[in-house]
Amino acid sequence: MNDVQKIEQFLYDEADLLDNPDLDSWINLYTEDGTYWMPVLEDQADPINHISIFYDDRVMMEVRRRNFVHPRAASKDHKVRSSHIIGNVRLNGVNDNGDLVVTSNFQALVFYRSEQRAFGGKYEHHLVADGDSYKIRHKKVSLINCDAPQKSLTIYL
Amino acid sequence: MSYSNDDLARLVEPNRLHRSIYTDAEIFELEMERIWGKAWIFIGHESQVPNPGDFYTTNINHRIPVMMTRDRQGEVHVLHNRCAHKGAKLVDTPCGNARAFRCCYHGWTFNTDGSLLKIPNEGGYDNTGFDLKDPMNNIQKVAQHETYRGFVFATLDPDAPDLQTWMGGALDCFDNLCDRAPEGEVEAAGGVLRYEHDCNWKLFLENLNDTMHPMVTHQSVVQAAEDYIATLPEDAVAQRAEAEIIPPFGASFEVFENTGITGFKYGHHYDGGKTSIHADYTVQPAYRDAMVAAYGEERTREIFSFNTHNTLYYPSLTIKSAVQNLRIVRPIAVNKCIVETWSFRLKGAPEEMLQRTLLYSRLINSSASMVGPDDLEAYMRIQEGLQSTGDDWVEMCRQYGADQDMGDRIVGGGTSDLDMRTQYTAWKNYMTESYAHGETA
Repeated sequence: MNDVQKIEQFLYDEADLLDNPDLDSWINLYTEDGTYWMPVLEDQADPINHISIFYDDRVMMEVRRRNFVHPRAASKDHKVRSSHIIGNVRLNGVNDNGDLVVTSNFQALVFYRSEQRAFGGKYEHHLVADGDSYKIRHKKVSLINCDAPQKSLTIYL
Repeated sequence: MSYSNDDLARLVEPNRLHRSIYTDAEIFELEMERIWGKAWIFIGHESQVPNPGDFYTTNINHRIPVMMTRDRQGEVHVLHNRCAHKGAKLVDTPCGNARAFRCCYHGWTFNTDGSLLKIPNEGGYDNTGFDLKDPMNNIQKVAQHETYRGFVFATLDPDAPDLQTWMGGALDCFDNLCDRAPEGEVEAAGGVLRYEHDCNWKLFLENLNDTMHPMVTHQSVVQAAEDYIATLPEDAVAQRAEAEIIPPFGASFEVFENTGITGFKYGHHYDGGKTSIHADYTVQPAYRDAMVAAYGEERTREIFSFNTHNTLYYPSLTIKSAVQNLRIVRPIAVNKCIVETWSFRLKGAPEEMLQRTLLYSRLINSSASMVGPDDLEAYMRIQEGLQSTGDDWVEMCRQYGADQDMGDRIVGGGTSDLDMRTQYTAWKNYMTESYAHGETA
């Protein structure tokens, strides 16, 4: 496999863990300082000085994966099912941290609370080599409807 | 059916409510006219339109489009977003800057204060009785608007009492929010989150000072946070500090009981005062220093010792003075509303204070947070459950009879239903048009 194929495979595997869903395994794809970001603006500069839909570091991922399977989380009584498709995977060089910058398009169908919703947009992954595979230092999910009113989203996309 | 004032009055008893107030589309339309058409509705903050020509658009109820503008002289206006000619919405973008507002249909053009600037080919109106100078050819102003410490409210009712009278003692919470800034002013910053709720707008308001739900509804996230904290080594200070934002949401009945609830005429109320679940958040040293430099030790202590959790300005706005964010509920239909979360920068405070506010808003109020969706789940189940014909009534009895009337306010226990009784007294007065007749709660 060349690098692009290896990276594509890694992105598919990540999406699979969300589709299962298996957050306990998903979190292990991230570095200890890894972050997951879903901005609320099309051209949002950063996740710190502006509100975001999601901006989780390891601490919040750890809390979230425990909450996700907690029997008393009423919003989780309705199981969430999703199906991701990832395409247009491109390698965009290396950033200042030395991480590989990978962009892709995604579409995800999400079924929750008797309703099917369609999400779509761009992913940007910052990847660190980890043995024969990768770890994610940062994942940015840019929804095409990021600034529209959103319903409850109980899982990462 | 068509409701008489007596019919409406019968839906609210001192300690119970008829389910139709949440489920009947006709009542919803009446609420839009009699509550949202009479009360002061929050429009925005002056800092959203800092420069001449700046505008910001919103709705004042479920459908009436309005805009806040700043004219060339620097004055702020709240105008109906409707061309004086054919009625088209003049501005259809959320915010921006304009030299003038030009209608997309026939090009009637208006100044940013709403006055008519020009119309194309005006000769066609000669001798028709049409008068360009007629004020009805300006963009119409909303009946009244007023600003309190930068917060802009408007009402469709020309006879509404002035804003400060209407707010009553709940004004203290706006003062406290602004006084927490070393410069005594706040500004809107960091954007807005919009969260779609499939429930009646009142269910969101009822939850604000419902202190009997957190330890139940938020038990899972509190336990998840505590379980995680327990795995942390002693020296993991940063991780600990971040995760510790969550557990106060599961505070005990006793903690909430002691915060107390204070209610006011027109339906406003807050929980807290001397203390709240936000009272133990650490005050950052650089921020504290800036406050002491501005106000002195004693006044700073006084400002920080006034701790409220949520303050509702019935029916549209709720603020968290101690956290510097606010939420606005926008009704859409009897079973649908949108909740907006805004954040504010404390002028003169270190930038980390805004970052803390944004962190808080994201962790608690985002549609993807671990708190908001469990609240919304409960509201949606109420919306669905109240379709049941098994019982027509919803109770609000907790500590009924123990509310203390202090003249300008009513105070009671932190876990009482005083907040419910306060907002439904106002609901009944608005809906039966009793405020207009001078009969007040």
